[in-house]
Formats: sequence, structure tokens, C-alpha cells
Amino acid sequence: MNPNALRVVELSKSFSVRASAPGLMGAFRQLFGGPVREQLAVDRVSFSIERGERVAFVGPNGAGKSTTLKMLCGILHPTSGQADVLGLTPWRDRRALSYRIGTVFGQRSQLWYHLPARDTFELLARVYDRDLAVHRQRLRSLTDAFELGPELDKPVRQLSLGQRMRCEVVASLLHDPELVFLDEPTIGLDVTAKVRIRELLREQSEREGRTLLFTSHDTGDMESVCDRVIIIHQGRVLVDQGLDALRREHIKKKLITLHTVEADCQVELPGARVLDRRPHRIELEVDLTRTGVEAVVQHVMARARLRDLTISDPPMEEVIRQLYAGAAPPAPMSHEVELSAGVAS
Amino acid sequence: MTRVLWAAQAVPGLWVRPRPGKYWAFAVISFKQRRHEVAALLGRVGFYALLLLIFSALWQTAFAAEAAAGLPAQNWRDYVWYLVVTEWIMLSQPSIHLDVESDIRNGDIAYQLGRPISYAGSKLAAGAGDLAVRLVVLGASGLVLGRIFSGTWPSWGGLLGAALVGVLASGLMLMCLLAIGLCSFWLHDCMPVYLIWQKLMFVLGGLLLPLTLYPDWLQALAKASPFAAMLYGPGQLVMTGSLGMAVELALEVLGWMLPVALGLVWLERVGRRRLEMEGG
Repeated sequence: MNPNALRVVELSKSFSVRASAPGLMGAFRQLFGGPVREQLAVDRVSFSIERGERVAFVGPNGAGKSTTLKMLCGILHPTSGQADVLGLTPWRDRRALSYRIGTVFGQRSQLWYHLPARDTFELLARVYDRDLAVHRQRLRSLTDAFELGPELDKPVRQLSLGQRMRCEVVASLLHDPELVFLDEPTIGLDVTAKVRIRELLREQSEREGRTLLFTSHDTGDMESVCDRVIIIHQGRVLVDQGLDALRREHIKKKLITLHTVEADCQVELPGARVLDRRPHRIELEVDLTRTGVEAVVQHVMARARLRDLTISDPPMEEVIRQLYAGAAPPAPMSHEVELSAGVAS
Repeated sequence: MTRVLWAAQAVPGLWVRPRPGKYWAFAVISFKQRRHEVAALLGRVGFYALLLLIFSALWQTAFAAEAAAGLPAQNWRDYVWYLVVTEWIMLSQPSIHLDVESDIRNGDIAYQLGRPISYAGSKLAAGAGDLAVRLVVLGASGLVLGRIFSGTWPSWGGLLGAALVGVLASGLMLMCLLAIGLCSFWLHDCMPVYLIWQKLMFVLGGLLLPLTLYPDWLQALAKASPFAAMLYGPGQLVMTGSLGMAVELALEVLGWMLPVALGLVWLERVGRRRLEMEGG
């Protein structure tokens, strides 16, 4: 069996966009044609994902995450490059692939609003040609796992957002897909609901050996569910590594919180910056390229007696923000090509 | 087919053969959903009643004036029943074109295309479920309203023929509306096409006036179009009650369904291809 659930080689996608002209006359001229711009959304992206892996696909808005996901689901044809998803070429074998993949889109719903989720699940059983006895057994096991017993028979409109999202995830897992694409599945959820969805996704993936490719702007999703992260920026893969390696290689700062017996403690050390100071407490940001944690602690201990000490990493969000900021200036994302006046965009 | 069979073998618990049952399931769930939208249904019934009230008063006055002028008297009550049938068909139509337009505009279609089912087929099936609820509710309301505003019953044969052909004509109209919605693949806004279609239904379909009141050349033009088969035909049946005409009209509607169905298949294929290449 191919150990890879997914393999992408030099995948690119560009769209033809009609350039907008300013003013009323420009808008009028645009009716009859005008310059067409080639806009590159995904630029020679390559990566592979092993079966059972949980991978976060992270990037700012417009980075090309959704376009890549659409190509991997077979909904969009690439301009160039290759992709192998579960041994199939998505855009050629879309229908066969659809039986083996699941999709959860946090901003779209597949549930019928006025009806209980059970009705949508029955519909999906038909859509995916499931045997009804097998479907009911699978539904029972998923509703137990996702704690959806009584909610199953309530109209969807009466469910909370968290319950709805759990139903969406169940809907995408009903046909027992080998690979699930999740596009911001925790968007809009409160903290408790987010945590629960993350736990359930991880548990399900571990129990059934399911591969997950997960996009989210919330780094908490990434840290709780995934083992590896692919960061995409302006259509290109910026980073592709395990979360631990990402922390090791890219975290150049530490946060140190010190509780002292003395009410005040002066810290003047190159590379250590005071973030917050209160009586008996001081919070420092340490630049590891300039000084070490040990040196900072020793520096403080020479001036005050320590009651407590906490060392933590900066939030992953900060790490990713720095990665985006530090990315090499990209090659021109779009170049205007005068294809011909009157070519449809 | 080979691919589906392959997928079926790869995943335990799949039926080996794909079944049309999935489209039926869409019709059933849509039927169930529509039952919950009582306020919207009542709104349509209210509008139906208002139309019949206005037009029955109008016909009554117009025919009274005609009789006073010494022209041959016609039965205005028949015209009320004609309107009951044509408006029943027209008002029962779900806004399937707007659903498709919205799917295309907000990108939902991309996710629906990822399922092992035809997008247009699933929309048509869901639309049929929706249509069925409206046909029943508005049909029952039409019977009561027609009796109230005309003061008579038409022949039972005429009613039955109009009902049967009306259901078929509604199906054809639903297919046409889906085709209009699928134009959004190119236009992103199907309203201009819909407005042209609606005006053609008014004029060539004979929504408010039977085609027999039109000049000969316009009658001939209208009768050669599918619009007349969808409205004028069933409306005329309730006035004449001829079984032979009902069979003839049913065949005509079925005849129009074939090219429209082929057009739908083509539109979905070409539209999907465009979406796959150009994105949503």
C-alpha cells in the first residue's frame, strides 16, 4: 500500500482576471473587452502527507489554501503540476475520489436548516450509496463519540453553533473517508466548543487512522490537532515541518515570569526586555540570539530572591506572524498580459 | 461507472450499483423542509387570492360592458377558472434559479460538486420536492378560491385534465428555471434572463389572458413555443374539459421536456468545466 495519502508536485493555479479600469468610461469600455491579467493563486506547491498524519495547512487570507484544497478535492483543475490523492488524480477521478474523502467547511453548511440532522445524515447515506444497516451502525458510533444523542432529532436551527459543527463533522465522516479536508472547522465557535471539536477530531483520527488536512487561522487548532504544519504564503510553501521542529527552529524568544520576595527588581541585561512589571512580579521577553535563559535567571537572582519562576514559549501565532513577515519578497504574483480585447475573464 | 464500482469495492458498506434513489432522497428531504415554511406558503396563498379577486372583478366588468355593447356574451366564470389554473402553475414554482445563482455566487457549488451526484440533478430533485408541497397547497387553495370568485365548479373532467397536465407543465417549468439558474455560471446574475423568461410567460404563455383573445399571428407564434404548453394548455383544459386534448397536451409537454433536459445536461457540463478552470 502506498504510504502516502497525498502527494503534490509543483502544483500551480492561475486565474485570468479582467483588469478593472477607473471611471465611468473605463467601466463602459470593460463591457467590450480590456486587458486580462493572469493572477497566480498557487505557485509550484509540493508536499506529501502520509496516511494517518494530521497536517495543518496555514496561511493568511488569499495565500492559496482554499484553492489548493479545491484542487485536491478535484473541484478545480490546476494550471500545471501533479497531485495524487489516495492513488487517484483528483480532477480526473473526482467521482471515485469523492467516496473516499470527506470535507468540512466551517463557513458552509450541508445540514438542512429546518430538519433534524438525522434527515441530512440519511440523505448523505443515499448520496454515498451506503447500505442503510451499515449507515445506521456507523451513525450510532459517531453520535456516541461526538456526544450527539438528543441533538440528532432536534431541528438544526435549534442547535448551538458548537452542536451544529459537531453535526457537520459527523456528516463528513459518515461514509468513512480515508482522508478529510477541514477548512476552518472551528471558525466562530466559543472556547469550550473549539476545544471539544479539536479533541474529537484528534481522537477520531487516532482511533480510525484517518488522515486530516486542516486549514485554520487559529493556531490553537493546529497545536491541538496536528503534528505537522505546512505554512503557505502568497501561493508558495514557506515552511513544511513538524510542530516541535517548528518551535525549535523558529522560536527565538522565551517568556519568563518571575515572582520575587522583594517588591521591586531592576533588570538591565542586553537581550532581556521587560514586558510587565508589578510589585513582586516581573515578566520578561528574552531574545535567545543575544542571551540565554540561564543568564537572565542568574542576573535576577543576583538582585532578588526568587519565589517562583515560569518559562514559556511565545504564542504560536506570534511565531507564524514573524514567519510571514520574514518571508522573502515573492516573485511577482501577477503579471498583466494583454491577451486580447474581448477575451472573457 | 467503472470508477464508481471501483470505489464501491474499495469501501466496505457501499452498494455495488449507483441508484437513482439518491435523487429521490433529495426530493423527499426538500419536501420535508418546505413543510416547515408555513409562513412563506401562506404568503403565496394570500397573493393568489388577491390576484383572483382583482381579475375576477375585472373579467366580470369587462364582460358586462361587452354584453351591453351588443357583442356576443362570454362566460367570465370560465376565465376565472383559467386564471386559477395558470396562476396555480406559476405560483407553485420554487425559486430554484435563485438557489443556483446563490450557490455559484457564494461558492457553495464548489463543495456540492465534490459529491458523487450530479449538481443539476440534485437541484432538480430538491426543486421537485419543493414544488410538490406548493402544488398541493396552492391546488387546494385554488379550488376553494375558484369556487368563491366564480361561483361555479368547472367540469370534473376539465379539472382532472388541467391538474394532470398542470403537474407535468410545472415539471417542465422547473427544468426551465434550473436552466436559467445555470446561466449564472457565465452571468453570475441570472435575473436578467429570468425577467425575459417571465415576460415571455406572461405574453406567449397566456398567463392572464387565454391565447384565443390574441391576434392570429401572435396566437400562432405563442402556440409554437413551449410557453403555451406550460400555461395556456392546462388553462384551456379546465375550460373545455376534453380528454383527447389532455392527452395531446401531456404529450406536447413531454416532448418539450426532452430538449430542455438535454440542454440542462449540456449547461451543467459546460458550466462545471468553466468553474473547474476559472474557479468560482
